[in-house]
Parts: sequence; structure tokens; C-alpha cells
Amino acid sequence: MASLGEIYPYDRRSQGQMDALLLAEGIRRDKNLDYSCGVFDEDGTLIATGSSFKKTLRCLAVSSEHRGEGLMNQVVSHLLERQMQHGNSHVFLYTKAKNARIFADLGFYEIARVEGELVFLENRRDGFGRYLKALAKTRQEGKCAAIVMNANPFTLGHRHLVEQAAAENDWVHLFLLSEEAGPIPFSVRKRLVREGVADLTNVILHDSGPYIISSATFPSYFLRDEDAAILAHARLDLAVFGKIAASLGITARYVGEEKSSHVTALYNETMARELPALGLGFREIPRLALEGETVSASTVRQAIQNGELSSVACMLPESTLRYFESAEAAPVIAAIRAMEEARHY
Amino acid sequence: MEILKPAIAGTLESSDAQVAVEPAEDGIELYLESSVMNQYGRQIKATVLETLERLGVEKARVTVVDKGALDCTIKARVECAVFRSCDASDANIPWGGVVR
Repeated sequence: MASLGEIYPYDRRSQGQMDALLLAEGIRRDKNLDYSCGVFDEDGTLIATGSSFKKTLRCLAVSSEHRGEGLMNQVVSHLLERQMQHGNSHVFLYTKAKNARIFADLGFYEIARVEGELVFLENRRDGFGRYLKALAKTRQEGKCAAIVMNANPFTLGHRHLVEQAAAENDWVHLFLLSEEAGPIPFSVRKRLVREGVADLTNVILHDSGPYIISSATFPSYFLRDEDAAILAHARLDLAVFGKIAASLGITARYVGEEKSSHVTALYNETMARELPALGLGFREIPRLALEGETVSASTVRQAIQNGELSSVACMLPESTLRYFESAEAAPVIAAIRAMEEARHY
Repeated sequence: MEILKPAIAGTLESSDAQVAVEPAEDGIELYLESSVMNQYGRQIKATVLETLERLGVEKARVTVVDKGALDCTIKARVECAVFRSCDASDANIPWGGVVR
């Protein structure tokens, strides 16, 4: 009788079997997994496996000799139960495009796909539809552009990008990454963006939610991974973005030119290639340079880490500077100083 | 009974059903996926709603992924998910009361 159990990170034998099974089934093993399980036959051979990372299920495979035994159902049941125990009722899943049907039978609905490669699904029938409907309420007439930013924290560089888009379009939909992924909490990032663009009356601020650059659509944005993974995630993220753009009537995406962050640079390259195919414009705005130095949030975090906020004061709008000088920012500054690496990889 | 947190019961294996309940603002929102939707969809829906009513659940988002479960299985899975969602321990499950 086959049995299902957790595969622990230190269990090298099972980990090795998991790698071999994924390889045999042509599935790339994600670098970042926080839980793995497997079904083992009587001899202790791994015949099915699945893992999760935050709210997503991934690296799901059944040995080709054991198809049709309902093993994937067991694995997914187990992973879903565990997600629920952690309070995640809205769960996402990636799979190869040709396997989408298997998961449709397990209660997963398609959000978007990269043709011939990946499909991105969620366990709510109306999840993405509801999100689009809520967004569509803010739809505006005229020429609309979109910006997605982390604003970690909001600098004059971000401001420059928003100003450019706001000047060249009737409306700008500004999506702020709502994933908590660094020492500066989302609520603070959001407040600083809101204050920083308050005078631009044609800017609409949105939370990015789970469908734009989240740990579900784009895990490698937050955690180191290889280029092939970043490219696949970026393409998927843009496929989802295409649908969001359509519901808001967005015709172009504005980004800041990227020189230091590897993952953002790859993302920008992918956008330059993919967005025109989706019928969307792509506009890369050169970095703002002040006093001979390019403005970047990485540089600002680095300076805060070194305890030299004053050296980057010229890069920050008044509202951001005021925040970091206030007593309220003390724990955030302490968290930035405690980071190993203040720059985005 | 009030749904306090997301909870799940059952599996996706053949002849079983996976029932997830979550807190909701108002009313019962039921999402059903079934391998026998055309034949038994209506009956499954009725069983789920009836069970919820018997347990006094008025507000919930309920997702059922059915793999051909019998009515008694569906009933049991719904009950279990509801009890898990309000942390009802073995001691305060109303055996013989609304559960019979």
C-alpha cells in the first residue's frame, strides 16, 4: 500500500528521489519550496510528489508508471489541507499547459497561460474575475497607462516616472506591490506613495494584490532563482497583466530603466518583447540623475543601512524624508540595518 | 453556528468530496465542482445546503469539489468542515442533536 508523507529538507534520500522524479517528468524544480510531500510505494520508492511555496502549489509530478491511480488527487488533497491549516483558503498552482485539465478536475480554474508552457490556476472559480470586476470600477475614458512599482521606499526617481506617465496620458493606474517582502511594511510604502503623488490628480493608486508580481505569480522576484525561472515567471506575470490591462483600457506600461537589479532588468527585457505582442506599449524612462548620481531605492536603502540617510536626502521627496526622520520609522530603520543585503538582486 | 476561520474536510480521492468553508459577509455562497455534475449536481447542492441549514450556518462561502461521493459522505464532510471552522472539539459536537 502506498503511503503519503512529508519530505523533509534534510532527508537526502527522498530529496534525491524527488529531484529524479521531477527531472524524469520534465518539471523544473523550484529553488524556493517551503514544504514538500510524496507518495511512496511499498519499497519506499517515490511515485508522486508535490510541494508548496507560500500560497502556491508547485513541482507536482506523478511517475509515468503510476498514472491513473489517483495519486495526484492525494497529493493535492494533502497540500490543500496544509494550506488551509495555515489560513490560506485562496491557493494558486502552476502546471505545464498540457496538464491544466487534470487540475481543473481538482477544483482549480485557469487565470492565464503562457502558450505551450505554463498555466496558472487558482482554487476560486470567480477569484480573478472578481478582482477584474473590482478594478474595472476605476476604469477611465481616454489614454490610460499603468505603472507597477515596489516603491521600497518612494523616491524622486519613482516620482519622475509617475510624472512622465501622468504628463503623457490622460490617466495613470499605479499598482503598488502589496506583498510584504522587505523591512518597509506595505502600509508605509503605500502612505509614502500616496503622499508623494497627491498633487497628480490623474493618478489612480491600486494595491497589486495576488495577481501582479506577487509570490504567487512571480516568486523569483522576491527570492533568488535561476534565469530560466525568472523568465518563465515574468512571462506568466505579463500574461496576467494583459488581462488586467484589457479590463482597465490600459494601452501602455511605463517602467524605470534598470541598471543594478538583475531580476528587474530581465523583467524589463521580457516586457519589451512581450507587451507589444499583447497590443500594449512599453515605455522605459531613463533614470533620474540628481547631483550626478542616479536615483534608486536600492541606493537609498543602502545609505539607510550605512546610517547615512542625509547623503541621500536629495533623492527623496519631502514626505519620504520626513517619515524616515520621524520616531515612527525607528523600527523600520533598525530592520533595514539588520538586513544582509539591502539591494535587490 | 458561525464560521470563524477557513477550514477544510475530505479529500479529492474517488468517492469522496473536499469541502472548504470560509467566513462570508452575508448568506451562503456555494461553489460546486463535481465529476458527476450533470447527473447529481442538483442533489449534491441540496444536500450541502440542507446540512448547513441543520447546523444553523447562515453565512459562509462553501467550496465543494466532489469526486462522486455518496450523500452521507457529503453530509459528513460538510459537518466536519463546519466544526473545524469554529474549533468545536470532540466534546461539544452535538452528537444526537443536529448531528445524526
